Amino acid sequence: MKSSTNKRSHASEVTGHRLLLLAACGLLLVVCFSGFSKKPRPAVYIKALKNSRYQLIVANRPYIVKGVCYNPIPIGLNQDYDWWSDPYKPWLVDGKLMQEMGINTIRVYRTGENPESVKQVIRDLYENFGIRTILGHWLGFWEYPCPLYGDKEFHERIKKEVLDMVAAYKDEPGVLLWILGNENNYSCLGHVNPWSTEEIDREADPQKQKCLRAKIYYSFINELAQEIHKLDPDHPVALGNGELVMLDAAKQYSPDVDLVACIIYRGKTFGNLFKSLKVTFDKPLLLSEFGADAYDALKQKEAQDMQAFFLEAQWRQIYDNLAAGKKGEGNCVGGTMFEWSDEWWKHNPVDVESLRTHDTASNWSNGSYYFDIEAPKNMNMNEEWFGLVGVSADEKESGIDKRVPRKAYYVIREFWKNPAAKKKTEKKR
Amino acid sequence: MKKIIAVMLVAVLLAPCAFAQDKPGTAAAKEFWVFKDKGARENHFVPSGWMGDYGDVKLNDQSTDNPYSGTTCIQFVYTAKRTQGQGWAGISWQNPANNWGSKKGGFDLTGMSKLTFWARGAKGGEVLKFKVGGIGITPKATYPDSTEAEIGPVELTDTWKQYAINVVGKDLSYISGGFAWVATADQNLEGATFYLDDIKFEVDPALKPEGRKQEAMPFYVYADRSSMNNHFIPSGWMGDYGDVKIDQASKEDPYLGDTCLRIIYSGKATQGARWAGMYWQNPPNNWGNVDKGFDLSKAQKLTFWARGAKGGERIEEFKVGGLMGEFSDSDTAGVGPVILTTEWQQYTIDLKGKDMSYIIGGFCWSMNIDVNPDGATFYLDEIKYE
Repeated sequence: MKSSTNKRSHASEVTGHRLLLLAACGLLLVVCFSGFSKKPRPAVYIKALKNSRYQLIVANRPYIVKGVCYNPIPIGLNQDYDWWSDPYKPWLVDGKLMQEMGINTIRVYRTGENPESVKQVIRDLYENFGIRTILGHWLGFWEYPCPLYGDKEFHERIKKEVLDMVAAYKDEPGVLLWILGNENNYSCLGHVNPWSTEEIDREADPQKQKCLRAKIYYSFINELAQEIHKLDPDHPVALGNGELVMLDAAKQYSPDVDLVACIIYRGKTFGNLFKSLKVTFDKPLLLSEFGADAYDALKQKEAQDMQAFFLEAQWRQIYDNLAAGKKGEGNCVGGTMFEWSDEWWKHNPVDVESLRTHDTASNWSNGSYYFDIEAPKNMNMNEEWFGLVGVSADEKESGIDKRVPRKAYYVIREFWKNPAAKKKTEKKR
Repeated sequence: MKKIIAVMLVAVLLAPCAFAQDKPGTAAAKEFWVFKDKGARENHFVPSGWMGDYGDVKLNDQSTDNPYSGTTCIQFVYTAKRTQGQGWAGISWQNPANNWGSKKGGFDLTGMSKLTFWARGAKGGEVLKFKVGGIGITPKATYPDSTEAEIGPVELTDTWKQYAINVVGKDLSYISGGFAWVATADQNLEGATFYLDDIKFEVDPALKPEGRKQEAMPFYVYADRSSMNNHFIPSGWMGDYGDVKIDQASKEDPYLGDTCLRIIYSGKATQGARWAGMYWQNPPNNWGNVDKGFDLSKAQKLTFWARGAKGGERIEEFKVGGLMGEFSDSDTAGVGPVILTTEWQQYTIDLKGKDMSYIIGGFCWSMNIDVNPDGATFYLDEIKYE
């Protein structure tokens, strides 16, 4: 018995020593790791998973961008209005409605004139409703004369504007990420806001001209991305791009952007978008502008069903292609629908009467929104009718044009609650 | 008068019986005739739907020239003279006669598996398409057929041969267009004389639904004017369509074969758009509203040959796919801008990594007045997926 006890005692002693040793090693490991992890993870970052699948991580958790483009211009005013300083604070009414719908992000194309007002909007939305803000910069795309991406002075001026924006807002907890440009890539094709340089002008081959423009533009984007990363390691930088046009050049010249923010209007299906991006420029995708209008240009009447049908179909595909999606490519991090509220100035921004009219004239044509494509001259897209909420010219609420949610507001709200549920909207011709 | 009323009454009472006798899906209904012989009581449809260059067609529905069975067959003579300026002609068997979907007359053919018919050409080499249904679908009529299916282009032989159109899995609940053929002048330069016999729907339990098959390569958009391998039609006129003329049978130094495409763009901005373009579509005028895309998944590239009449003509883009509609092309790819030379040059559109599983718009070009102020004439040939 004794001997047996002694044995046990010895064994206990050995076990005790081992435990001590293990504890010491564990402590050492903890110290080592805590040493390595001195540099905290960025507040917002892209996590690369297997097979080119990506997640956006916010506060250490995967974040699906359930967003909306936001530009609350009141009826009677136009794009020059600095709504950030609106005394009635429309974002408070909108933020509540957005929160009730499930929106967690707004995308704005540019910041306002007064940085304190901008900060206040970002804070109000984040602190009151948990809504984060994506801040964008046009990169001079709509300046006159056309953007001169090959001009050093222009280049430096835009760079300063962008970095000033980042410096001013990077510490706002509500900021989600930065988007550089919107559809500026089309200017490289020479179709929209064309620009050139002496070197480009000397080149006779138009395909080579296009490549030269792309090299200049996307190199500029990369330079901006690098500078932003130095200044603000906490937020990803997205390349705003019209469709996937010229992303082969982006792959070559913009390797430092963190994700691609695409503007896509393809009706009920995004088609091969997700796979195609993976092949051309393997970056995560934010659908930064997509949607459908709520006006049937053929029947000449509001068409909430039509808008809801397209938006639900689009969100289903976004979810199929999230990192956790089983059917898709896993490279989508969400989207920001175009747009929160109707903008009555869009049809004719300089006509005072038009600013007060909800114009029904179509501004462009797109066959993938096929219900009303047989409208005269196939003009079926109604720029003033893209809102998830309409705005009332007759009623004010808290000092702003009353918001009237459309069917899409409710349909997408229900979809987000249960993305696996069957489709709600069926639209027949 | 009483006699007439009595006859009508009998007719009305008997009509449902006649339908019931023939109603497919019953044990007895293993076949349903479109045309058996002139005057045969089994005939259910009438060759009344004359289409396109109807002046180019002559019909003899009691030809005794070597019928496949019975005593007669139907002989068609298509002259390809383009009498109505269409470049194609066809005839649809309808019920009732001349019904383009404005009248009730569809049969419920549920349970049938295929439509079969016998055909031969007078010489052999006649090229036709054959079709079931499709009445009143696009544009939508009051009583549209519930489906459509087709085969072709088919090159006939000078001996009788049986052909079949698979309709398994199709909605055959309402068919007023029992059968149709279509011939084009381009594919039958000297016209076509051909014979049809024993056209009927049949039950074939062993037949499986026909899926969308992956097309074999090479797959031509345009080979030669009369080639039956041309799979798309240059029907999608865009922008200043009044500025564009196309000759699909130009003999001006084709790159290969006996013809090429000659396109003349006047640059007059007839419609005020200041640009023009053209899509090759399937079927013609399909802007994504008809579910007829080809599965070209095997394609790695599209190649074509092009030259300008003077050199220096600038084409903004040559493109494949990109048609957007209810049935959108699955992807798009392009090359351009391209400045043509007077020598034939081959151009390639790289399709690697593209989803070519559903293509309606097989090929497209576009150009504008700003860089072609005096217009342009250019030539295309051998447009094909490889």
